[in-house]
Amino acid sequence: MFELLHKKISAIISINEDELNYCKTLFVPKKLRKRQYLLQEGDVCKYQAFVEKGMLRSYHIDENGTEHILQFASEGWWMADLSSYLTGEPSLFNIEALEDSQLLLLSKFSWDTLMQRIPKFEHYFRIIIQNHLIATQKRVMQSHTETPEEMYLKFVQTYPECIKRIPQHMIASYLGISRETLSRLRKHLVSHG
Amino acid sequence: MAAKKTIAIIGAAGEMGSAIAKALINSNYRLLLMSRNKGNIGKLYAYLKRTSPSAEVAVIECEKEACWEADIILLAVPYKVEKEVAEKIREVATQKIAIDLSNPLNETYDYLITTPDTSAAEELQTALPNSKVVKAFNTIFACEFAQATTTEKQTKTFIAGNDKEALETVSEIAIAIGLTPVLCGSLSAARNLEQMMLQLIELKTEENYNNLIGLNIHRHSPVTFKSVIR
Repeated sequence: MFELLHKKISAIISINEDELNYCKTLFVPKKLRKRQYLLQEGDVCKYQAFVEKGMLRSYHIDENGTEHILQFASEGWWMADLSSYLTGEPSLFNIEALEDSQLLLLSKFSWDTLMQRIPKFEHYFRIIIQNHLIATQKRVMQSHTETPEEMYLKFVQTYPECIKRIPQHMIASYLGISRETLSRLRKHLVSHG
Repeated sequence: MAAKKTIAIIGAAGEMGSAIAKALINSNYRLLLMSRNKGNIGKLYAYLKRTSPSAEVAVIECEKEACWEADIILLAVPYKVEKEVAEKIREVATQKIAIDLSNPLNETYDYLITTPDTSAAEELQTALPNSKVVKAFNTIFACEFAQATTTEKQTKTFIAGNDKEALETVSEIAIAIGLTPVLCGSLSAARNLEQMMLQLIELKTEENYNNLIGLNIHRHSPVTFKSVIR
């Protein structure tokens, strides 16, 4: 249940067995079925979710009813609406399971407790959040600075195993391009190697 | 709209489990039903789907799977099997609410088999050290749940626990069922609640009442009860 989390943590900080066992007591083991929600718009985001198995997506629906996908998270990734999580304000986002998933959820209180009791977790989470911030900045700039082809190739690089697991229309939504453009782009890439 | 919370009812085919499942079927909770009695659980499921076709309800084969998917766990099992169930679910019940509605009575229902310095709820908390055990519904007879939304809410449900948020969540479930929750304090108050049920059963036996009696507590002043739901 905690194998991947342990592996990911150990890649950044070293923890002994006692510390790992303590850490385990703070996470909520949660199974979500495909299409179930972890978070709905208007809720306060109570948890950061670590994906042991499966895949999540976070998205927002605009006034016209169009979905805008913010992020995907597959095995080993974290997902949350950090703004809502940290401020307690209602979220603008939805977090949904794209597949049957096994998650480990960390509440704000448990997160603070973990970092207080085992201070080296401050370093672990700082690295996680720092990487997230860098990725978010890149994402914000992406649509201004990159062509659809460049964005798509970057996407394949970032989420290599996910291509087969994410429906095309969602990839298009994530990249901010139409399905037709994506379809054309993919055909072009296939035929031109 | 808030994402639906999932309640796993362990022992759902039993008297209390099925009564609560029926009372919650039209509420905003997703229900997972688990019971060792496969025949009866099938009948319950069929009944629930018939009365509420759009309700989100599923039968889960094993306790661990049901509790893994759940946000809230309701142990509608007899006191004597609670620890056995706790052992099966402990790993996946971490940081989750576990509702204990049991009454630790002897076979003839005339005394409690727990010692005065503890309660079934506190024993369950020891068996599930990382869960948030809440005592609730133990002073309610199963038939009360069917009446709850239709009769005047005279019967109160007494709730005790150590975690404030867990108490809020269980109070919300009580209200969804149609009961009025009354907070009784920390989990050690479960000792009182288990004694109260013993008294209620004794009254029922002595006076030959049927199960349609309940405990009420009221104040003479118009002040409402201390409850986290304002």
